[in-house]
Amino acid sequence: MTDFDPEKFEDKYVHYFAELQRAYKNAFETMNDAYDSELVHAIDQRVLNESEPLYEDGAFRIDLPENPHDRVTDAGVLVDEEKLSGTLDRYVDEIEAELRSVFDLDGE
Amino acid sequence: MAHKRPTGAATPRSGAEVQRSKTVRRQTVGMSTEAQDGDDLQDRITNFLRRNFPQIQMHGGSAAIQNLDRETGEVTIMLGGACSGCGISPMTIQAIKTRMVKEIPEIETVHADTGMDGGGGGDAGGMSPSFPGETTEDDGDAGADEGPQAPF
Repeated sequence: MTDFDPEKFEDKYVHYFAELQRAYKNAFETMNDAYDSELVHAIDQRVLNESEPLYEDGAFRIDLPENPHDRVTDAGVLVDEEKLSGTLDRYVDEIEAELRSVFDLDGE
Repeated sequence: MAHKRPTGAATPRSGAEVQRSKTVRRQTVGMSTEAQDGDDLQDRITNFLRRNFPQIQMHGGSAAIQNLDRETGEVTIMLGGACSGCGISPMTIQAIKTRMVKEIPEIETVHADTGMDGGGGGDAGGMSPSFPGETTEDDGDAGADEGPQAPF
């Protein structure tokens, strides 16, 4: 388990890069098993590639780019907004949970 | 011993194999030819990626400089191989973007992508699964041994 230091998280891509990768990868695998793989891949490649994990007020939050629906459909994946929104919400929840787990903050 | 060269001995990665071999004129587009040899900035970018992101290689992926505009300080990095579908590319891309502009002053903007641009396939198309030139240990003088190394 990695000790978490909110200050170091400001420079997260230097100090916590491996942990961030692990959290995203675990979330990806969970989502890929449970949901439409093509959609999960498109979210991974076209939406989360512009995402940023933040730590604010004692909690993780995933900042997402605008227009995720356009991003996914531009990648050739046809999906209605509702389905995308539901899947993306679940995906973000999963990443946040993985971040808490990776940094052993589950009990806080 | 004659010339038994199997023509084309084409493996699916023949393009990547070519990159790996000696004198590669990188895949840079939009960069003036004058800078192709001894391009310090390009070497520094390559070394920056190799040094800071060995995970790409370890996960069976690759990274190549696709475009470098020295005037505007804009660089495009293409991640390929396993990077295009393993769940770690989002953070890899963000880390490359964030760190490169901080650590290489000439770079103002970084575009990094896995090549999933409208094709919908999610596969970047058989790029090399490793960093060619990985045997180069340090980053100070990439031009000293084999000249400009393959672009990752």
